[in-house]
Amino acid sequence: MRRTTGIAFALALALVAAACSGGAETTTTTVGGATTTTQGATTTTQGATTTTQAPVACVGKIGVMAPITGPAASIGEEQRNWAQLAVDMFNEENGTSFEMVEGDTQLDPAQASTVAQQFVADGDIIAVVGPAGSQEVEAVGPIFTDASMPFVSMSATRESLTDGTSPTFFRVVPHDGEQGPTDARFMADELGAKKVMIIDDQTSYSTGLADTTAATLEASGVDVTRESVSQDQTDFSALVSKIGDDVDVVFLPWQIAANAEVFGGQMAEQGKDAVLFGSDGLFSPGDFTIEGAYVSSFAPDIRGIPEDAELVAAYEEQYGDFGTFGPPTYAAMIVALEAAKSICDAGAEPTREAVVEAIGSIDLPSSVLGIPIRFAASGDIEGARFFIFRIEGGEYVLVK
Amino acid sequence: MEFLLQQVVNGLTLGSVYALIALGYSMVYGILKLLNFAHGDVYMVGAFAGYAVLVGLGGPADPRVPLAVLFLLMFLAAMLVSGALGVAIERFAYRPLRNAPRIAPLISAIGVSFFLQNAALLVLGARFRTYGTAKMIDPGTGLHWGPLRISLVRIIVIVSAVLLMVALQVLVKRTRLGKAMRATAIDREAATMMGIDVDTIIIVTFFIGSVLAGAAGVMVGLVFSRVYHFMGFVAGLKGFTAAVIGGIGSIPGAMLGGLFIGFAESFSAAYISSTFQNLIVFLILIAFMLIRPWGLLGTPELVKV
Repeated sequence: MRRTTGIAFALALALVAAACSGGAETTTTTVGGATTTTQGATTTTQGATTTTQAPVACVGKIGVMAPITGPAASIGEEQRNWAQLAVDMFNEENGTSFEMVEGDTQLDPAQASTVAQQFVADGDIIAVVGPAGSQEVEAVGPIFTDASMPFVSMSATRESLTDGTSPTFFRVVPHDGEQGPTDARFMADELGAKKVMIIDDQTSYSTGLADTTAATLEASGVDVTRESVSQDQTDFSALVSKIGDDVDVVFLPWQIAANAEVFGGQMAEQGKDAVLFGSDGLFSPGDFTIEGAYVSSFAPDIRGIPEDAELVAAYEEQYGDFGTFGPPTYAAMIVALEAAKSICDAGAEPTREAVVEAIGSIDLPSSVLGIPIRFAASGDIEGARFFIFRIEGGEYVLVK
Repeated sequence: MEFLLQQVVNGLTLGSVYALIALGYSMVYGILKLLNFAHGDVYMVGAFAGYAVLVGLGGPADPRVPLAVLFLLMFLAAMLVSGALGVAIERFAYRPLRNAPRIAPLISAIGVSFFLQNAALLVLGARFRTYGTAKMIDPGTGLHWGPLRISLVRIIVIVSAVLLMVALQVLVKRTRLGKAMRATAIDREAATMMGIDVDTIIIVTFFIGSVLAGAAGVMVGLVFSRVYHFMGFVAGLKGFTAAVIGGIGSIPGAMLGGLFIGFAESFSAAYISSTFQNLIVFLILIAFMLIRPWGLLGTPELVKV
């Protein structure tokens, strides 16, 4: 029996490793915990024209909470890069010398809490961009509320986050309560769907969105079937064979565009001709390219906004291709920086409390997302809506 | 009926990949009684090596060499890189611990696994890469029997997996090297006394196991298209499960276990719910541990009293 006990032990160890892979990994990657990236005050001539008449030097650190390593690192890396780009460009244009501090959360609420405490303990940090996931926002809410720390999320969309429990919380993306109905109405009215299959990817983002979409669809008399699949899954062919001939639309509220690309490929393989419809998590022209599929997004493709062309070029030159999670991070960082700068401009010192006030009353006439940025009292961005695209010849074409 | 047959095809594809991964686990366990948890990450590295060749030769949309040559080179590169990596892992992470208590190499294995994952993350970045197989082979091509479809890529994968397994079986059963490997697995000390160079046999075992994992990496890239730094983790667990169910240490057992897990996944997604796919696979593992811990083809260990 010795062999069996050995295996049983190893199995237990494997399961523990599986269960807490996030935590175990931390030991090797804590570098992300407090990497300070200093971007000196490179005051260019251009910057000098719009200078600060402020008597107080405009300095401070902005924390960024993102899943820089771990399974969701593809999202976090993009968010981190866009945040860094925002700080660099803002400093260059305004002659400020804000710094960015990275906090790696691995999309894990427990890890996010630790990073939040580190940020609170660092007196120089005056605002936080992030965290990325809704479950993380819930975890860090009490910590940041106690410390009056303003935090602006670039991707947390659960509806309940802005119900008043975290008064210092803001977000630059619309919530799930808007995306689900928008997508559902489009499927029912524009695509004339009679039967829709919804497959969530077992994250709270995905199941929440699947629920609201299903509710709206059912209210319009559309037949809905639900399935669910893990983000780790690479083979969807069994699921694909379950798509009946009477299914008009397959809705994937997923976060990983490469998975949806595989799914679409396996549909083609099995000759399924239902229309594929993805949520904003799949908005990624480099990765999700299934011809004839639809994708919704909280912003028009920033590659299609003429004012953003320079920014897109700057990002691509420095970091390469990007998906849907980056630009809102840029917007969130700009919100934090503009708020801090407005306080300096008024001659005061940008404290956390002051930055909360300033973000609440911020009024940016334009942003990278193509819409003005103003916040409602709840912390939700005003006037944001979802857009729907169709993929034609590899291009994302705005259809609604 | 077609639906059932379609699941058989799905299960067979997935199962051949798991079988190749399971073989590496099982062979190493057979010889060293070591669970090489870094094995899944060797497979990940193989997938990236294949991807590097693909991109280096012009990418999926516009390859500079004929497809057959391209695939052959991708497989070769992945198998060699993975094989070399396996040998290196053995040399640096396991050999120094060969006479340590059994828990030590196990911990070392988990360490190597995290090291490889994070090294890949640092060096290659976190973005998902896709092989873009659809650009090379139209997903519609392949065998069609009424509504049943087997795409060409799946045929390539299943056939090459079978070829590799047959080759391995011949090597183990029909060659002197294979005989030495079997002898080492049965009794390492006695094998040494018979003049077998056990160190070389162990290196060869790691090499062959890792070569198979590298091939599995390219297969997954071709069929499921997506490669990333974390892909070895779940695949490794599934391969391990397959090895245990088949009877760890047994080579035909690993093949059978791999197919078993592949079918279990496909059928549970198709007939029960994809939500419970992983749950069912690991429930099967637990059931085996309780009822038949030596697996399908393993032999129960005799305990002298």
